[in-house]
Amino acid sequence: MPEEGVMFNPMTTTKTISKVTAAAGALTAIAAAAEAEDRFLQGLRSDDEDANYESWSSAADMDPSVIPAVSELLLSKKPNVRKAAEESLKNIVHSVGKVIDPRSLGANAGRPDDPGRMDPRQRVVAQLRSIVDGNKRQQVEKATALRHLSLIATTDDVPSIAAHVHNAQLREEVVFCLERLPGKAAEEALLAALQGAADDFKPRILAALGHRRADEAVAVCVEAMRSPDPQIAIAGLKAWGRIGTSSGAEIELPDRDSLTEWQNVEFDDSVLRYADAQVDKGNPDEAEPIYLDALQREEEHLQCAAIIGLARIGTASTAAAIFGKLRSGNQIVRITARQAWTSLARDEG
Amino acid sequence: MREQARVTRRSFLSGAASTSLGVTIIPSSVIAKPAPSDRLNIGHIGLGGRGRRFLRPLAHLDQKVVPWENLGGAGDRYMRPALSTALCDVDSSRLDMSATMVGGRPRLFKDFRRLLELKDLDAVYIASPDHWHALMTIMACQAGKDVYVEKPAAKTVEEGRAMVTAAQRYGRVVQVGSQGRSQEAAYHAKKYINNGQIGTVREVKCWHYENPRGDWTPNSEPPPGLDYDSWLGPARTIPFNRTRTHGSFRWMLDFGGGQIRDRGAHVMSVAQWVMNADNTGPVSVEATGEPHRGGIYDSPMHMTVTYEYKDPDWTLIWAQPGEPSQELDARYGAVYWGDNDRLTVTYGDRNTTDTEQKAKDYEIPYGGVEVFKSPGHGENFEDCIISREKPVMDIESAHRVSILCILGNISYRLQRKLEWDPVNERVRNDQEANRMLSRPGRGPWHL
Repeated sequence: MPEEGVMFNPMTTTKTISKVTAAAGALTAIAAAAEAEDRFLQGLRSDDEDANYESWSSAADMDPSVIPAVSELLLSKKPNVRKAAEESLKNIVHSVGKVIDPRSLGANAGRPDDPGRMDPRQRVVAQLRSIVDGNKRQQVEKATALRHLSLIATTDDVPSIAAHVHNAQLREEVVFCLERLPGKAAEEALLAALQGAADDFKPRILAALGHRRADEAVAVCVEAMRSPDPQIAIAGLKAWGRIGTSSGAEIELPDRDSLTEWQNVEFDDSVLRYADAQVDKGNPDEAEPIYLDALQREEEHLQCAAIIGLARIGTASTAAAIFGKLRSGNQIVRITARQAWTSLARDEG
Repeated sequence: MREQARVTRRSFLSGAASTSLGVTIIPSSVIAKPAPSDRLNIGHIGLGGRGRRFLRPLAHLDQKVVPWENLGGAGDRYMRPALSTALCDVDSSRLDMSATMVGGRPRLFKDFRRLLELKDLDAVYIASPDHWHALMTIMACQAGKDVYVEKPAAKTVEEGRAMVTAAQRYGRVVQVGSQGRSQEAAYHAKKYINNGQIGTVREVKCWHYENPRGDWTPNSEPPPGLDYDSWLGPARTIPFNRTRTHGSFRWMLDFGGGQIRDRGAHVMSVAQWVMNADNTGPVSVEATGEPHRGGIYDSPMHMTVTYEYKDPDWTLIWAQPGEPSQELDARYGAVYWGDNDRLTVTYGDRNTTDTEQKAKDYEIPYGGVEVFKSPGHGENFEDCIISREKPVMDIESAHRVSILCILGNISYRLQRKLEWDPVNERVRNDQEANRMLSRPGRGPWHL
């Protein structure tokens, strides 16, 4: 009932009651969520494996704000609690990973600086990023978060992740993450990271660029090949061979004498990968001389690689080169040439 | 100022050769490979229980030795003369044990690249943990070695495709150790089914017991003699724990992936072979399962994976535990369900692999479908080293089988059905799953 002397307006009172009810409802929901979160975390911390399981198997239903608390449990001395935390994080991450590209989300795509408008994936990513950025977070937590980010982060997250690439404790996981993220932004971040990287880490970044077949990295690969450090030089060559894009100019290959025996194996392999890529890209004129050189090498497997490459080009001149190996004194070369010759004849037929 | 060879793009290799001749010793084997009748020189990488079974001791060299029955074949021929001349393992104790078993003076290495540098090896047997299979195989091909590598071929789809490419680039023979295809029972089943004896096969249902749980053995320092960082190789760094290292790595998704990989690579290999699906794959994969509630391992306790194939339409089901055969008693295997009848193939790996009598008794009629009969998995591999033919479980076929194992585990982890494009080897409907098809390496270990 209204207090005495106060004018009673049924409309206003109804609205007020509605607001109070809504606020109370919201408070109840918040309290319920907090209680659920507490129960969830208690389950993870429990010594009872069934309780651990009940929690981790329901982790995907929890609000992403629980992630930092779960991450802390990765440091637990109890292995069952560590496992429960690991499984929880996996379940949370996997629950939002089916559609990652924000463009496919249309109007539902939110902005990282506006948590209220974030979609669930972005909210999970934001929490994982906060762990990577956190000053008091331990190495295990950050490494775990980066592994998860590699599965669900996007171009938007690259600057934040790449900011840690010069952290000696974290750089391996940062590059792992960037290497896995689709899009040019990750490649640009790797290229930028290369510039300030310690020499002992440059091969790792070059490997990532090679693995991604990053065309933009050809120039830095060529530059790396000229390094006096054989580790960097061979890393540049390996990445260049994997990318397989012509630089359009003569290049200076690493000095063979400075390389170890195994690095010389990698040298040959990289050049052959480059040649194979030229054939794939419809540029056989670039590949043919490489194969013809390989055909003159002593090593049987390099001759075989040359024969196989020449057969893929499949011109009269490459057929002639293969023909010359049909009577090779090396049985494996001879058989490989015969198989290649047969395939050429079949293609011609 | 260091003098550097300047070469153009048109003289990569010859130029390179001229700069390296000063340090490269050309072995006699490069100039004149041993004649086919000569002995094979074998290198071994990974010398745990499985790897040691591939050793070719000096004491056997002049003897007639029957192949290990685990690898199939009719037992009607002797092993080709061969000697284990180089051994590699990251664990000194295993290396020393193997050297003693071989006798003589095999060359010993802890870094497999040093073994691959040897010019006088005809082939290598690789029996490392799963997470090493791809890199070791690819690098062996680069070094000109033919390869027998344990199953399943790869840890990721990208790795498997890279293995195929490497073998093709160098014209190498690569046999993967899904030796069920070389078991006589698998041969009988294939000839029976491919000749229409049970009608059109619509469903292949595998059964297998559950994955182990693992205890809570605490982390510790690696034992002396084990180079644990090399054991991890391309995998992420985690503390040493003996319960997930030697032998038991296979129950961890980081290094192996449970029975669907360990035994699925056998049972489903036979299925792909019998169903003539070696160059294709399913169009959808859906896994359900239940994890162990405790224990150190993260592969599921139970799982069921359904693979749907199109053109022709059939379904492959991997089930742990699934429904055992009613015809034959075995702990795992597969039942092939045709329009008219069904046929069981038990196990699919070991010498206890069996099938029903009706298939064993069946003789291919004149004009019927002929089926390759392997002389034994090791013999088939070593025959192909000489003939340069593709072995029965060549790397392309093995890659296709490992895709089944990989996608089953991904679908289980994500709890989602995956639509698979077997031509482009991509998931059509799940972006996270696509990212899981490859895994960047660690340190110097990259595809």
